Amino acid sequence: MFQYYFLLGLRGLRRNPALTALMVLTLAIGVAASISTLTILHVMSGNPLPHKNDRMFVPLVDNSSLSGYTPGNESGDKQLSYRDAVNFQNSKIGERRSVMYGVGGAIEPARKDIGAFSSQGLAAYRDFFPMFETPFLYGQPWSAADDAAGTDVIVLSRKLAEKLYGDSNPVGQRMTLMGFQFQITGVLDKWDPVPRIHRIIGSGAFGSEDSYFIPFTSAIRHQTAHNGSMSCSGNREPGFQGTLDSECTWMQFWFEMASDGQRAELQNYLDSYAQEQRKLGRLKRAAPNRLFSIDEWLVHLRVVGNDNKLSAWLAFGFLALCLVNTIGLLLAKFSVRASEVGIRRALGASRSDIFRQFFIETTVIGLAGGVLGLLLSFGALALIGMQSKQLTVAAHMDWVMLAMTFVLSVAAAILAGLLPTWRACQVTPAIQLKSQ
Amino acid sequence: MEIRPILSALMRSKTGAILVAVQVALSLAILVNALHIVNVRQEVAARPSGVAAESEVFHLLARNLRPLGHNEELALQKRLAAAARAVPGVVSVAQVSQVPLSRSGSNSGFAASRKQENSSATAAVYITPDSLIKTWGLKLLEGRDFTPAEIVEIDQNVTEEFPPQVIVTRAMAEKIHPGGGSALGMPLFLGTGEGAQQLQVVGVVERLQSQGAEVGDKGEYSVLFPVRLTGDGDTLLTIRTEAGQRDRVMKEAEQAIRAATPDKLILRIRSLDDDRNTRYRADRALSWMLIAVSTLLLLVTASGIVGIASLWVTQRRKQIGVRRALGARRVDILRYFLTENFMITSVGVACGVLLALGLNQLLVSQLEMARLPPGYLLAGALVFWLLGVAAVYGPAWRAASISPATATRST
Repeated sequence: MFQYYFLLGLRGLRRNPALTALMVLTLAIGVAASISTLTILHVMSGNPLPHKNDRMFVPLVDNSSLSGYTPGNESGDKQLSYRDAVNFQNSKIGERRSVMYGVGGAIEPARKDIGAFSSQGLAAYRDFFPMFETPFLYGQPWSAADDAAGTDVIVLSRKLAEKLYGDSNPVGQRMTLMGFQFQITGVLDKWDPVPRIHRIIGSGAFGSEDSYFIPFTSAIRHQTAHNGSMSCSGNREPGFQGTLDSECTWMQFWFEMASDGQRAELQNYLDSYAQEQRKLGRLKRAAPNRLFSIDEWLVHLRVVGNDNKLSAWLAFGFLALCLVNTIGLLLAKFSVRASEVGIRRALGASRSDIFRQFFIETTVIGLAGGVLGLLLSFGALALIGMQSKQLTVAAHMDWVMLAMTFVLSVAAAILAGLLPTWRACQVTPAIQLKSQ
Repeated sequence: MEIRPILSALMRSKTGAILVAVQVALSLAILVNALHIVNVRQEVAARPSGVAAESEVFHLLARNLRPLGHNEELALQKRLAAAARAVPGVVSVAQVSQVPLSRSGSNSGFAASRKQENSSATAAVYITPDSLIKTWGLKLLEGRDFTPAEIVEIDQNVTEEFPPQVIVTRAMAEKIHPGGGSALGMPLFLGTGEGAQQLQVVGVVERLQSQGAEVGDKGEYSVLFPVRLTGDGDTLLTIRTEAGQRDRVMKEAEQAIRAATPDKLILRIRSLDDDRNTRYRADRALSWMLIAVSTLLLLVTASGIVGIASLWVTQRRKQIGVRRALGARRVDILRYFLTENFMITSVGVACGVLLALGLNQLLVSQLEMARLPPGYLLAGALVFWLLGVAAVYGPAWRAASISPATATRST
């Protein structure tokens, strides 16, 4: 019986091709609009390390000067001073921890065919690699001894390694960075977490990947200037040492605890640390010391912009309109077939039979709209991706979204079809036949 | 007019009418808000930067690979600027610490008095040993440009004490001393508290956007310092060319700069137009999306009206035939459908206006969008009345063409 109704449905669609095409197209456009904006929202607000959400934390302390401070008025600063960051690093809290800051150094390749170029990198501790689960193609991170001594060692991104050394394994070789010789200890495999939670400040949640990683201690030893933002509330002596000694904030920090549920422990440490610093005459504001899990950090830094939310709202408003439109068109289509329903009813079809028949027909429309909507949303995502580099990263369809497209479009069509289908069932055979 | 019979006919079959009205209301609400946002974004992107004839300006950043001493770096900066000046087609060259719209550079806090605990404004800091008024064509409203004697050579690793002379933008002067006459000689301090440095405003320019070109007055808070700064190995030159010569000069300037020094340099060249495009890319992308959605909205709504109207025409063939047979003219039938549609559209428009206001309220409170001016509602209502008439005209004409004979004869 299902097959019969399915064929009937197909035939019904063929009867008025223009109207059918219009319905399928309307549904498809509405579905495509919502799916493409939803995909972007979904990718943007995604968490690349969901299993570590309750274990990894960003600490923030307010180290601005007391002048002009009213309690409850948060500074809005999202980075740490060198002093706080190094103190956190030297604490023995948590399983792993790493301070980091962006550096932009000139690379002078040994190959003569490539000129010198500047490239952005990250200065961090070795804990950075296991904490963010970076995949290694060759070699490994530098050692803890390298961290302690500030050795000139470097981990390259796959892209940079291929640019400098082709396909060969460069581990152990030396390269010139910022005028110093660095020894390569490892090469990362392709690594693009979206959003790039470790670099939202500096190069952006959807920015380009870091080309290399060097020990934080080595970067400081070479007085490597930071590549990113710095906010200074107090006075600062000139020169690099002046910056290190100042209360300027320009570093980011991540803690990883051994297991979930140790947030309170970390918060306690942070509070007692702030207490201790207050005794030394720092952190005078006594503002709350804050911890952010990965999800909280994404919200705090407003990774999903208002414009993205607006697009999604708009798309759903548009989908609602398309649905109302489809209801209208289906109503028009079914009402013309009142006589057909009358005859079928007179010949013994029950109301539920009629319901099933029209239900299947709307489902066929929903499926067609879904398939077309899927194709359209691939096109729309490609178009959106062309608008900016940031959106290129975010405009990727994944299987979850693919499944959602189908569910959404079919559900939408069925929802839209309910009222017209119900109306079609209300046809009274006697009256309908009499008027023939 | 025949409003009463239309009304009673409508009350008989409400579903279709409600569907049309809902469609009109939904699309009106979305359309006016979308177009308003497009307009706001376009206005933001069209704000002048203060630089005259932007398409004739580009910047060249030369990064030296090895650290140089203060004097070596000074010599290099002057050599590079001289090399750029010698390129044919170059009108003017200035060295500067940052450029407007580039989204990279530094800000500082300024205050109106030492007694303040918080700074009055955070302004973009343009540090230049040359005349930006000349190279960028900034419009001087008051006072004068820096004199060559005021330019100081400073190594930023030794001191950060700048000379007191500054040029500020009008927006900045207005922010520090609202409504207070001449900005020349007004008290202005770099930083806050007792240690703040007193500055002397020697000139006021009409406008110079900051590197971020933020929305609102903040985007025009800029302060110029007459300093030749060394210490980070970067030399940023901003270059004005003769009209239409920019692209050629950009290529030749790169070669000239490379030839000017045996040092290894990393060069980055960008036009001001590139910076402007990058700065407003997100706004443009959103605008295009909104325009695309608005167009689709109108199409979908029109198709909905056509669909429902066609349905009614089919359903009422018989009545139309009877009316025609009883003496109604074609134009009466046509008018019937147009009036009916106009009534439905009007209900939709009325609901749509309310919905648009509600949606705007939501956008203002949740997504920090701007408030909707009433003009948009009026324009939106007009658009949908016209759309309704245009969409229903086809089906109505078909209805009017129904001959009384065929309509009364069969089914």
